[in-house]
Amino acid sequence: MRVLAIESSCDETAVAILSGEGVVLTLESNLVRSQIDIHQAYGGVVPEVAAREHLAYLFPMIRQALVEARINDNEIDAIAVTAGPGLAPALRVGVEAAKALAWAWHKPLVPVCHLEGHIYASWLETSNPPQFPALALIVSGGHTELVFMKSHGDFVRLGETIDDAAGEAFDKVAKMLGLPYPGGPQVEQLAKLGDPSAFNFPRALLDKPNLDFSFAGLKTSVLYKLRENEASLDNAKFRSDIAASFQEAVIHVLIKKTARAIAEHSPKSIILAGGVAANLSLRHSFQALGATHQVAVHVPPFAYAVDNAGMIAAAGYYRALANNFVDPLVLSANPNLDIV
Amino acid sequence: MISHNAAATQAIAASLALRLHGGEVIALIGDLGAGKTTFVQGLAAALGVTSRVKSPTFSIMNEYAIEPTKAQLWSQNNKPAKLARLIHADLYRLQNDAELSALSLADEQRADTVLIIEWPNAVSVDLNPDITVTIDHLGEDERAITIVAK
Repeated sequence: MRVLAIESSCDETAVAILSGEGVVLTLESNLVRSQIDIHQAYGGVVPEVAAREHLAYLFPMIRQALVEARINDNEIDAIAVTAGPGLAPALRVGVEAAKALAWAWHKPLVPVCHLEGHIYASWLETSNPPQFPALALIVSGGHTELVFMKSHGDFVRLGETIDDAAGEAFDKVAKMLGLPYPGGPQVEQLAKLGDPSAFNFPRALLDKPNLDFSFAGLKTSVLYKLRENEASLDNAKFRSDIAASFQEAVIHVLIKKTARAIAEHSPKSIILAGGVAANLSLRHSFQALGATHQVAVHVPPFAYAVDNAGMIAAAGYYRALANNFVDPLVLSANPNLDIV
Repeated sequence: MISHNAAATQAIAASLALRLHGGEVIALIGDLGAGKTTFVQGLAAALGVTSRVKSPTFSIMNEYAIEPTKAQLWSQNNKPAKLARLIHADLYRLQNDAELSALSLADEQRADTVLIIEWPNAVSVDLNPDITVTIDHLGEDERAITIVAK
């Protein structure tokens, strides 16, 4: 089965063509038009800019994907699209385009949740996909959650952030340190040179017997540390110690909560998903966690961890196998779409 | 009003919820880490929002259904029947007024909706709030919360 997928929920306009046979999922084309240059000028992800850019690039990218895959439209079996969650005006561009294509080409249409897509990045281009039951830690700019998967399409949320997402905490700490957008990679760079034990930032909810996260207090704590030490704000050692200690606090909580979820639910495999999975320290800690608990660890390559359409195609492929189709005339983008 | 902890901030927000009837626009002003999301969580619970209220910084605008029967404050005889939704917007990432128009906030302003907007000063457009809530840091946990109605 061949799936064409479209992703436009936030920064990236992305199009992919995936060919699947059994569990072997091969990407014939995986195009991402990063909008980061444009957003840097605006200091954030701004929906109108995102929507305008998605619209400008989407159809040329679909054409290019077909050329790269050396196929024409009648060789596509299904169209998958991110239906949510995300920025409404940006999501709508992808959803409306997918509906139009599905209708014009007479192809079944598969709506995919963006978070589900992140999890399915671990099924791409591998001969050894995750075994069920699987536990996924999704960490991105808008989400921090633990999701348990008993089988394809069967998701249970075990816990989530009660305030800020981990990626948002990275972005806000970056802003406090005067670093440019996107903040996460900048904080990670700075943290490499710092001492992660220099400051003892709070680890929220670790004492609570649940699997929820909270990063708002950590953000406030970093803010106070910066205010107390205004004279050191330009001191390179101080800045990297702040970044390293902050990053350590985030990773510590993510790993401890994942460890608790492993103990409670005994998954066969653990999956790291979402844009923050690009953070190398987090990747290493996650690998070590799997080794300690003797569960298989799946951490997608960088290109599949950040927003892309290949992951939407992978999720769409399994939904299409289960005939999870929707009438193109009734699908609409849902900015609050939930994974379960 | 002075709040000494997150629970007190939420209680103050709940007291504001009691005065809302729908159609209000609330501007919510405060620095990073002041407790704006905490305040909205208190407001939402008091109004009858049962889903979890999270930071809208990334999503820019979150919409929550209000279920008056779940409201923590209204007695069954005294609840405003038309309150149906709470919209929690965050203009933190907006850098110019043109970006605001894409959000169509004015279209969201309905008689059954309470619209609460963080970082209203990120744009120079006057959002014409009915109520302005300002949260100032006094200390690690201490906050001054000022509520001014138009």
